[in-house]
Order: sequence, then C-alpha cells, then structure tokens
Amino acid sequence: MEHIEFHWNALIVFYLFTAGVSAGAFFVSGLATYLGGERYKRISRIGALIAPWPVMLGLLSLVFDLTKPFEFWWLFLTVQATSPMSIGAWLLTLFTVVALVYFLLWFPRPWRDLLKAPQRRSAPNTPRIWKPLDQAQINKARRIVAAIGAPISIGVGMYTGVLLGAVPARPLWNTPMVAQLFLVSAMSTGAAAVLLIAALLRPKAGHDYLHEERRFLVSLDIMLILVEIFIVTPFFLHQALSTWSSSSSLRILLGGPYTLLFWLGFVLLGLLAPLAIEGFELFPVVWREQAVRYSRLWAGLSATLVLVGGAVLRYVIVFAGQVSHFLPLYTR
Amino acid sequence: MDHPNTSPAKTRWVFVMEPERCIDCEACMISCSVENEAPLGKHRNWIVKIDKGIYPNLSTTFLPENCHHCSNPPCERVCPTGATYRREDGLVLVDFDKCIGCKYCMMACPYDARFVNEEKKAVDKCTFCVHRLDAGLPPACVETCIGHARHFGNINDPESEVAKLLAKHPYYRLYEEAGSEPAIYYIYSNRVIE
Ligand code: SF4
Ligand code: SF4
Repeated sequence: MEHIEFHWNALIVFYLFTAGVSAGAFFVSGLATYLGGERYKRISRIGALIAPWPVMLGLLSLVFDLTKPFEFWWLFLTVQATSPMSIGAWLLTLFTVVALVYFLLWFPRPWRDLLKAPQRRSAPNTPRIWKPLDQAQINKARRIVAAIGAPISIGVGMYTGVLLGAVPARPLWNTPMVAQLFLVSAMSTGAAAVLLIAALLRPKAGHDYLHEERRFLVSLDIMLILVEIFIVTPFFLHQALSTWSSSSSLRILLGGPYTLLFWLGFVLLGLLAPLAIEGFELFPVVWREQAVRYSRLWAGLSATLVLVGGAVLRYVIVFAGQVSHFLPLYTR
Repeated sequence: MDHPNTSPAKTRWVFVMEPERCIDCEACMISCSVENEAPLGKHRNWIVKIDKGIYPNLSTTFLPENCHHCSNPPCERVCPTGATYRREDGLVLVDFDKCIGCKYCMMACPYDARFVNEEKKAVDKCTFCVHRLDAGLPPACVETCIGHARHFGNINDPESEVAKLLAKHPYYRLYEEAGSEPAIYYIYSNRVIE
C-alpha cells in the first residue's frame, strides 16, 4: 500500500464518538421521560446528568486538532451554508446549551433549587420575588426541554456522519450509510452509557424498578442494534455491486488493515455480542411473560461492548475513508 | 455540453498540459518552491508518474499537476470559515488569516492538492501564482518548464495559446466524476494510445 498521511486522526474519532454518546444519552433520557415518567425516572436522570459532558470534551479535542486552536472563534463569525462543519459547530453549541439546561433541571435537590423563576408581583412596585421551581414546574420544564432537544440531538447524531459523507473524494464516506449508521449508533452508545452508569450505581434495596428500566433500555438497544445490522448489510451489497471507487472502498473493509478491527471490534463485539447478551436477558419476557433477567454484570458488560463497538466503528470509518479513493490515473 | 469554465467575455485562467512533453525534470517544482516559499518537504505542484505495459514493452508518462482551481471546488464548499474562496476569475485561494486549520478541505479535494503549512499554521496550495498574474506575468512553473509541457492562459480568449491548443487537440481532465470542474486540461499523449 502506498504511504498515506492521515490528516484526520484519533482526535476526530473521539469527537465524533463523544458527540454521538451525548446526543444518544439526551435522546434516551427524553424518551424515558415521555414513555415512563416516574417509572423510568432513574434513567431519565442519569441520561440528563451525563449528556452535556462527552460532547464538551469532544469539542475541545476538535479545537486542539486545529492548527490554530486559539482561533477557533472564526467558526462562529460566519454561517457557511454548504459546509457541514460550519452548520455542525453551531448545532453542537446549541445542543450543548440545551443539554446543560436539561442537566440543571435533573440536578438532585438541594442544588436544583439554585434554579429560580420569578413570581408574579403581588402589587405593582413591589420587588419581584424569585423562588425555586416547585415539582410540577420542574416536571413541565423537563418535558419541554426534552422535546426541544430531541430533534437537535437527532441532528447532532446525524451530523457526525454527514460531516464525512459530504466529501465525494472519499468514496467510503460519500454514502448515505455513514450518516444513518452514525445516527443509530449514536443512539445506541448513548443508551449504553446510561446503562453502564445505571449498572455501576448501587441499586437502592428492595426496588423492582431495576427490572422495569432494564427492560426498557434493553428493548431499545436491541431495536437499535437490529437497525444497525439492517443498515450495514444492504450497504455492503450495494457497494459491492457499484462503481470501481465504491467496490474498492469496500475492499478496504473486506481485506486490509481495517478488516479485523471492523469485523471483530464492531460487528462481533459491538453488535452481535451485546445482541446475544440482551437477547438472553429479554428472552423470558418475550417467551413466558416473566420478568427480565437482570444482573449488573451482564448489563455492564453489554453496555461496555456497545460503547467499544461504537468507538471502533468511528475509528475504522474515519481512517479507512481516508484510504479510499477514485480509480487511479491511467495513461491516455 | 456547456461547461462552467467557458463563458465568453470573462477571464478564466486555465492550465493546458502536454504530458508527452514532460520529462520529469521537476524544474517546475523547484521554481514554485523558490517563488512561493513552500516549506521544506511540501510542494504546491508535482508530477504524477504513470507506468503502462508489460515488460519489455513499457512506457512511462509524466503528468504535471497542481491545484486545479476547480469551477465547482469541493474544498471551498466545505470550508467552515470562508477562508477558502473563489475569485471572479476562477482562482481558488486561501485566506491564511481566516484558516483555522481544520483540514476539512484536504479531505474534500479529489486531487490531494493541499497541505498543512506548519510555518503559516494554515492550509496551503497552488495559487496559480496570483501575485504574478496580477502583475501581468505567467505562473513561475510555466516560465521554467524546459519541455514546454505547461501552458497557461485565458480559455475564453480565442487568441490565447491555451484556447488554440484545446481547439486543435483532444483533451481530458482528471477525476471529472468528482464534479469539481477542474481547470487543468491534459492533451492526449498520442504516443501511448494504442
Ligand atoms: S484542486 Fe483541490 S484544492 Fe484545488 S480547487 Fe480543486 S478541490 Fe480545491
Ligand atoms: S483548513 Fe482552513 S481553508 Fe481548509 S477548510 Fe479548514 S478553515 Fe477552510
């Protein structure tokens, strides 16, 4: 293989991965809030509390990948409608702000009481009184922010793929698959991050909420993994049957330095293994309408695998994409 | 087909290369580096070597190349700060002050024409010697090409050398499937067409 310089490296991989985890955690938290309310409260809270942080780390790593890290503000002096990176910079900033607000709303008492809303004046000319939000207001605010943030988080998940897809010169990136796969994988890694934290926390004694929330997260994750498989399979078929650039870019994944990583790291460890574990846990529910099998060990393991798989996927796509190219020049 | 490089009454600078005349002396690369002070080890222009045939019937063709100053430049499209921009006369240039070095343009260029200039902390590439053009001079590489493989001029002026060459000979451009509408034209090397 000829020598190739990788101008986008691990920092970009980290950035795409963390943005996905944040978007997913936010979305899962919002979903749990709407679908379960009190029942999935622990999930909603964990999701909300982790959502803002990975993306902020990711943005930091993106900035330090620039040749001029301290001039990143040029990004925010303009909106370049045709540049996914410009749109993405604004989108991620917006997302981070919404996620931080959401974070505060889910902050446990007493710190949450730092959030205050002005009360209606009792009489004109009296000073406004600021009071902590009561529970009803908090619940409402959480739902509103979750609803506003949901499309933004989907946008962030998709953006991580569009960033790569917008480049015709790299045939492996220039397919709808990357955006689709990165979006679903973002949701999946977000759910996994929530699962992992939930498994690490010591459960309160005598609570059967564990089974409830586990069932919710596991069903969601199984669905997402299946969708990922349904995205990857047609992608392989189509690339293989397409032009020289497409089929040769596929060959990088089928026989090359990234083959092992892709199949072992992403497909086996990141998709099939967690699918098997979660299927095993969910099996009694589907088969005999019993409670889901729950063990913190299995939960933690499958969540870790999904996270590792998501990172490997982005690594492989970012690097292998830079190797993919058009039909080389020939003499005419 | 009407393609965006030709609309009369407008200046559109293009290169016409005759690979058949290139002997791979790389004088163009030297003169470019002297003219534009490219950092050591980086080049704004280069020669692609293409081997053809099976021993003992072999031939090598040399394709002089640099930034194609595309009419539909993918690099400009993705630049998040507007540092890469396209001038009225078709030149695609980088504003070093605005460039933050995200390297997105390097991902997008189908010709790998761009490199990171560590001295400028920005992304750099061929400018068609814009400073010389504006002073009425041709690019440095054209002047030093001893084989006369590199021709430069305004494609919309029928009297120009490039327009005449293109009217007379069949030509091709590189990676047209990228949709970038490059402004470097290559004359078919009849010698290697069987
Ligand atoms: S050759 Fe590359 S750098 Fe030059 S204008 Fe075209 S896309 Fe941009
Ligand atoms: S590296 Fe500079 S010129 Fe290239 S896309 Fe980024 S800001 Fe624009």
